[in-house]
Amino acid sequence: MPIRLLAPEVASQIAAGEVIERPASVVKELVENALDAGARTIAITVEEAGRKLIEVADDGCGIPSNELELAVSRHATSKLVRSEDLFFISTLGFRGEALASIGSVSRMTITSRVKDAKEGARIRVEGGMAGKPAKVGATVGTIVRVEDLFYNVPARLKFLKTDVTERRAIDSLVTRYALAYPEKRFKLSEGKNVILQTAGDGDRRSILAALYGVDVAKQMLEVMAEEDGYRLTGFISPASLTRSNRKEITFFINGRWVQEVALNTALLQAYHTLLMVGRYPLTALFLEMNPRDVDVNVHPAKAEVRFRDQDRVFSFVQRSVRKALLAYSPVPNVAPSLWGTVRTTPSEEKSSSVGLDWAIGHDEGVGGGRLGVGSDQLSVNSDQLSVNSEQVIVNRQSEIVNRIPLMRLIGQVGGTYLVAEGPDGLYLIDQHAAHERVLFEKLMAQHERQNIPSQALLNPEVVTLPPGAAQLLLNQLPILSRFGFDVEEFGPNTFRVRAIPILFAGSDPASALRAVVEDFEEDETPLQNEVEARLAARVCKRMAVKGGQTLSSEEQRALLNDLETCESPRTCPHGRPTMIHLSVDLLERQFGRRGAR
Amino acid sequence: MKVTVLQENLARGLGIVSKAVSPRSTLPVLANVLLASDEGRLRLSATNLELGITCWIPARIEEEGSTTVPARTFSDLVNTLPGDQVSLKLDLPTQTLNVRCGTSTNDIKCIDAQEFPPLPVPDLEGAVQINSGDFREMIHQVAFAASTDEARPVLMGVLIQVEKDKMTMAAADGFRLSVRKAVLATPVPAPVSAIVPAQALKELARVAGDGDEPIYMVLPKGRGQVIFRVKDVELVSQLIDGTFPDFQQIIPRSYKSRTLVSTASLLKACKQAEIFAREGSNVARLNIKSAQGDLQPSEVEISAISEETGKNETIVEATVDGGGLLIAFNVKFLREALEVIRTPNVALETSAPNAPGVIRPVGDENFLHVIMPMHLG
Repeated sequence: MPIRLLAPEVASQIAAGEVIERPASVVKELVENALDAGARTIAITVEEAGRKLIEVADDGCGIPSNELELAVSRHATSKLVRSEDLFFISTLGFRGEALASIGSVSRMTITSRVKDAKEGARIRVEGGMAGKPAKVGATVGTIVRVEDLFYNVPARLKFLKTDVTERRAIDSLVTRYALAYPEKRFKLSEGKNVILQTAGDGDRRSILAALYGVDVAKQMLEVMAEEDGYRLTGFISPASLTRSNRKEITFFINGRWVQEVALNTALLQAYHTLLMVGRYPLTALFLEMNPRDVDVNVHPAKAEVRFRDQDRVFSFVQRSVRKALLAYSPVPNVAPSLWGTVRTTPSEEKSSSVGLDWAIGHDEGVGGGRLGVGSDQLSVNSDQLSVNSEQVIVNRQSEIVNRIPLMRLIGQVGGTYLVAEGPDGLYLIDQHAAHERVLFEKLMAQHERQNIPSQALLNPEVVTLPPGAAQLLLNQLPILSRFGFDVEEFGPNTFRVRAIPILFAGSDPASALRAVVEDFEEDETPLQNEVEARLAARVCKRMAVKGGQTLSSEEQRALLNDLETCESPRTCPHGRPTMIHLSVDLLERQFGRRGAR
Repeated sequence: MKVTVLQENLARGLGIVSKAVSPRSTLPVLANVLLASDEGRLRLSATNLELGITCWIPARIEEEGSTTVPARTFSDLVNTLPGDQVSLKLDLPTQTLNVRCGTSTNDIKCIDAQEFPPLPVPDLEGAVQINSGDFREMIHQVAFAASTDEARPVLMGVLIQVEKDKMTMAAADGFRLSVRKAVLATPVPAPVSAIVPAQALKELARVAGDGDEPIYMVLPKGRGQVIFRVKDVELVSQLIDGTFPDFQQIIPRSYKSRTLVSTASLLKACKQAEIFAREGSNVARLNIKSAQGDLQPSEVEISAISEETGKNETIVEATVDGGGLLIAFNVKFLREALEVIRTPNVALETSAPNAPGVIRPVGDENFLHVIMPMHLG
C-alpha cells in the first residue's frame, strides 16, 4: 500500500479526537477560553446533552474582527508567543487547538466584539471549513455556538454514552469550574431549564451546596494550607462521608481541572485507615503554585501535569489534608495512633488485584527463583484472572469466554484443595472458593427471576438530594418501584420515601435512596451490588464447604462438574482465585526436561 | 484496703457489673472494675462511659480503701474459687491486690482508683418509682423494636414518658412500633420524657433480677443522664439526644378488618413460615378470609415461599370481623411481636395491603404493636 499524506480534514479530525472526546470536552475548552478572556459572566447553554447545541457566551475581552479568521485555524493562539513561555503558562489554554478542533467536528459559529470596536463580527466554520467573517451587531465578549457536534464523525457519535451520562459530565464539569472560580458568575442551562447559577460573590460553600446538596456541603471540612510557594485550599469530606468511586475527587492546579494520579494517591494516603476498603472521599481541592514548577504541556486535554518536585507536592498535599482531617476529628486522642504507619507505596492498592495475589501464591507455593520465568509463562492465565478489584463482585460484566476446560479429578490435598488434570496441565482448586462460586451463581440465577420486595416505612422520610442526583432520580422514578422503592417528588430536589427494598431494611432510608442513585450514576443495574454482596456473604458464611473439610470422591467430582458449568469459574464471589494452573510446559521445565526459554 | 467477702457474693456482683466493662478501650482503666469500701459494704463499679453499673455486696471491712482491678482476670479467677471467704488486700505503693481464698493466693496488678471516672450519685427524692416486675415486662415488650442502625441514633433508644401516674414506653425502628403503658403507684409531680438507649434498658432488665422490689428512675437536671436504682444495683446511662418521632400519629385510628386468633397458633405458624422466608426476604403472606356462609369458615392462611427451599402454608382458625384481605409482613417482625404477648388471644387490625397492621393482645389495653406491611413487587 503506498504511503501518502493525510488529507488536511482527516488530519484535523484525528487531532481533534485528542482534545474533543465528548460534548463535555467542548464545554471545557470553551469555558477555559472564556476564563482566559477575563470574563466575569459565563453562560452555557446545551441542548440534547450537547449533541445538538453547545453555546458558551462570555463578557470577556472578545476577538477583534480582523483576527477571527486566524482564531479558528490550527495552532493559532493569543496566549503564547515564544517557546520559553511554555514553561511559564499562566493561562488555561495555550495550544491553539481548541477552536480549530471543535470547528473540524461540528458546525461552529463565533460572534465576538472587542470593547472599543463599533460592531462585532461573526464567522462560521463547518467541518473545518471556515467561511468569511461578516460584520454583525454584538455585545462585548464572545459567543461560541457549536451545533451538531460530531456530525461528520459518525464513529465518535456512536461511542457517546447515553444523554443522561453526557449531560451529567457537563453538569459536573461546569459545577467544578464554578467552584474553582467562585468570583465568576456561571449559568448553565439545558434548553430552558437553568441547572446551575452562581452568584459570583466568591462564596465557595454555596456552590458546594449546589454540587452536593446542602447536607453534604455542611459536613465538608475546609482545607487551608500554605507552605513555601504552595497553597492548598478547598474542601474535603470527613471520614464518615464517602462514595464508592473516585469520581468525586476533584483537583485544580492553578485553576485548571486535572486528574493526576499522584495527587489522588496523596489524598487517599491522608485518609489511610480512616476509610473502608473501596470507599473514597469527596473533595474539591485547589492547589496553587508557581507556574514554573508545573508542566501542563503533557496531555492534549491538559488533564495530566508534571511537577518539578513531585515528592514535595505529594507530601504537602498529604500533610495538609491529614491536618485538616485530624483537626476536625471527633476523637483527637485516638486518631494519631491511626497514623502509626504513614507512608505506603502507591502500588499497595493494586496488590489486591487477583492477578498479583495469584502470582505471589504461586511463587511461594512451588518455590525457587527460576519460577519467575514460570510465572511469565503462566501469565496468560493470570491475565484472565485479573478481573480488577472494582469489578470483582460484578463478575457478570466480564462475560468473556472464561469457561474452564473439562478436567479429570485426581483427588483432594490437605482437605482443602482438589487436584485435577486438564488438557494442558495440572489444576489445584480451592474447594471453598469453588463451592462459593457455584452456589453464588445458582442463587443469583434464582434471584434474577424475582422482584425485590419492598418494606413500607412507619414514617415517610423526606430526603433532599443534590440537583444532579435529583434530576437523575426524577427520570428513573417510574422504574424505581420495580426495585422496591416507593418514592414521590416532594418539592425541588426533595423526595418522600414511603417504602424501601427489603435489602435495606434495618438501615437508613435516606442512605438506601442515595445508594440507588449512586448505581444510576454509574449506569449499573440498580441494587445489583447490594444483592450480590448479600448473597456472597451468605454463601460464604453459611453454605459453602470450608477448607479442611474432607470430601468424598463423589462430592469432589460433583463440585468440579458444577464449577465447569459456571459463568466465571475462575474467581470466587469475593474475587479470590478458585484455581491455580500448573501447565505441562511449566512442569517440564521444573523437572529439567526442557530448558528455560 | 483490706476486706473479706463471700465468693458467691463477689461472683454475683462481678457478673452484674461486667456488662459495662469496656475490654477494648484506649483508656485502660475502663477495662477494670472499681473496688471500694463503702459504709460497711464493698462497691463494684464498671463503666464504658456510656453505661455504668454499680453493685454493692456485703463485706467485712478491716481497712478502708479502693482500687481498680482488671475485670476479665478478676472475674475469671473469682468464678473458679471455692465457695468460701475471699480476702482482698491491697498493697497501696505497688497497687497490687492480693486475693486469697482457701489454698489459693493471687497477686493482681491494679490501676489507681483515682483514674476511674466518677459515676453520678442519684438523689432519690422525687424519683419515678415503678414495680420491678412491671418495668421488666415493659422493657421486654418494647426494647426489641428499637433500631440497631447507628445512622439514626434516636431510633436506637426507647422513649420513656411519665405523666402523673401514667408511664409510656415506645420504640420504633422505622418499620414497626411497640408501645406499652403502665400505671404507677405514686404519681410524679412533673412530667418526664427521655430517650434511653435500648441496650441500657435490656441490661437493666437483666440486672434487676426476678424480685418485685421497686425500681427508681432519676433524671438529674442538665446532665443528659438517667440513673436507675434497684435493690443494691445502680445503672447509669447517657440519654440519647434528639426528637423521637411522634408515635401517636403513626398508630392507625381505625381499621376495616379485625382478626382474632390464638396467639400460640399464630406464633407457631409464623415460626414455620420463617423457616422458608428467611432464605429469601422474610416475607410472609397473610390471607385473611372472612366467613362465607357455612362453606367457608373465617380463617387466616399464613404462607411463605422461597425459590431455594420451597413453600409453607398454615391455616389458623380465626374470627374475622370485617372483610377479607391479603397482606404481607416481615415474618420476623410478626414473630417477635407475638413472642412478647402473654394473653391467649391476639387481635390483628388491618385496613389495606399497604396500610399498617396493628397487633393488640385481647384483654390487655396496655400494649400495642404496629407493623408496616411489605409489598411484593
